[in-house]
Amino acid sequence: MSLRTRRTWSLLGLLTAPSAFLLCFFLCPLVLMLIYSFLTPGLYGGVEWEFFHLNYGRILGWADTKYERFDPVFLIIFLRSLRLAALTVLTCLVISYPAAFWISRMPPARRNFALFLVTLPFFVSLIVRLFAWVLILRPTGFLNQGLMGVGLTSEPLEFLYTDFAVVVGMTYVFIPFTFLPLYASIEKLDTAQIEASFDLGATRVQTFGKVILPATLPGIAAGAVITFIPALGNFIVPSVLGGAKVVMIGNLIEQQFLSARNWPFGSALAMLVMAAVLVLLIVQLRLARRQDVP
Amino acid sequence: MKLTRLLTLYGIAFFAFIYAPIALVMVYSFNANPVNMMIWDGFTLDWYRLIFGMETGITESSTYIDSTPQLHAAVRTSFVVAFSTTAISTVFGTALALAVARYRFRLAGFYRVLLLVPMIMPDIVLGIALLIFFITIGMNLSVLTIIVGQCTFLISYVFVTVSARLAHMDVSVEEASADLGATPFATFRKVTLPSIAPGVFGGALLAFIISMDDLVITYFIAGTGDTTLPIHIWGMLRRGIKPEINAIATLMLLATIVIAGLGLYLRSRQK
Repeated sequence: MSLRTRRTWSLLGLLTAPSAFLLCFFLCPLVLMLIYSFLTPGLYGGVEWEFFHLNYGRILGWADTKYERFDPVFLIIFLRSLRLAALTVLTCLVISYPAAFWISRMPPARRNFALFLVTLPFFVSLIVRLFAWVLILRPTGFLNQGLMGVGLTSEPLEFLYTDFAVVVGMTYVFIPFTFLPLYASIEKLDTAQIEASFDLGATRVQTFGKVILPATLPGIAAGAVITFIPALGNFIVPSVLGGAKVVMIGNLIEQQFLSARNWPFGSALAMLVMAAVLVLLIVQLRLARRQDVP
Repeated sequence: MKLTRLLTLYGIAFFAFIYAPIALVMVYSFNANPVNMMIWDGFTLDWYRLIFGMETGITESSTYIDSTPQLHAAVRTSFVVAFSTTAISTVFGTALALAVARYRFRLAGFYRVLLLVPMIMPDIVLGIALLIFFITIGMNLSVLTIIVGQCTFLISYVFVTVSARLAHMDVSVEEASADLGATPFATFRKVTLPSIAPGVFGGALLAFIISMDDLVITYFIAGTGDTTLPIHIWGMLRRGIKPEINAIATLMLLATIVIAGLGLYLRSRQK
């Protein structure tokens, strides 16, 4: 056997099993979901293999005229999810930026330890981290006890099951996602440029706005996208901290599969989330490419 | 400079924000107050005794339902799933990383993108896609579907970790081995495998932790009787907050901190 054919065989040996697995259990399910999003929902769950035109239309509030009237409730939920995810991204960025800056200026040994500490919560169980926030935000929770202790409020405030709770929870869960790309670009900052800016008489605010911020823009964009994507489709955080009051698109999808049993509509909603993610990634790639070619 | 000091203060507050909630759970897992778990009422290990199925001094109300047997079953399921998925995804992920890094073939770019997708995609989309798929082909939801389903995205994590290791590896060592007459298999076993071993180990560790923690995808494809630990806790949270969740959470925290700490420590030693 020649070396060439031998290499071909060993390549096939490496690729065959994993490829078959991914084709069967990753690509097929996704294609099937796409097909389902165009099918007719069955009367008692499941589907009928017939084309149905209204799955995507219903998201926009279109009614099937027989049982429903125009109602943009699904669109409102989608827009709310976009808003809450955007708020989460903004909070994550604002909180992470100074911290990343602080850590990037540490001596190497301490810096590595600090980065280790930022990454560690990422590995801590999601449900445990959310549970901690339930304890804090509950009516009898720490935040309320603290506020009443200082005398800022006389009776417990409603924190749990509000937009605020959901944004706080998502911020807490996703902060390592924002932090790391942000840190990577802040660490690469050219100190000579900052010093030059000061030497030329720029104030701190000017230096930040004209030198530091533009140089770290790729990190901000990458951190924002990588945080926005899981935040948009999330349904664990809103169901633990938002309850029935703050419903996001993820909860809506879950309902279609587990209680409403309208799988085609749920698939259409999932496709909408995928489309939003795809648009975002394309925009980010375009921006990143433009940054590379000055 | 005043700004530096301000920044340091901020940094401390930042770490407090990250760690205070976790510390809170740990501290209150020792709180003896069974009625209001927010009010400190002395130190106890009863919640730990309770979750290990031991005798406790907790006076149980008539409505109290002990879920300890279910908890133990959930922990068992979680371990079965995590060990199986780690084994499968480590082998598949490493094979794919080797193929893409060491061979020139037309589809290499396709594989790189394909393996990125499960990590970027929202969990819920993969979860429902798998649910639709398993039901349509008539596969009953069980531990097996959880294992298969988790592997679809864990392969990606192993692939990325091993690929990073392969990228830093010197190809000339492998070439030297081949030039000296070693068979491709001997080269793989004696040269390639030992040098990528830390990457493979790191990938396996990552896969294990993510598998143990996966909630969203498992939630959709778990059979009714096959609850994993995160799903069990989620169920407990939905039924109302009980103090023993603190103790379970603390033990999980310690386990992840030990495993993740070990992984990150090994990685720092490599450099």
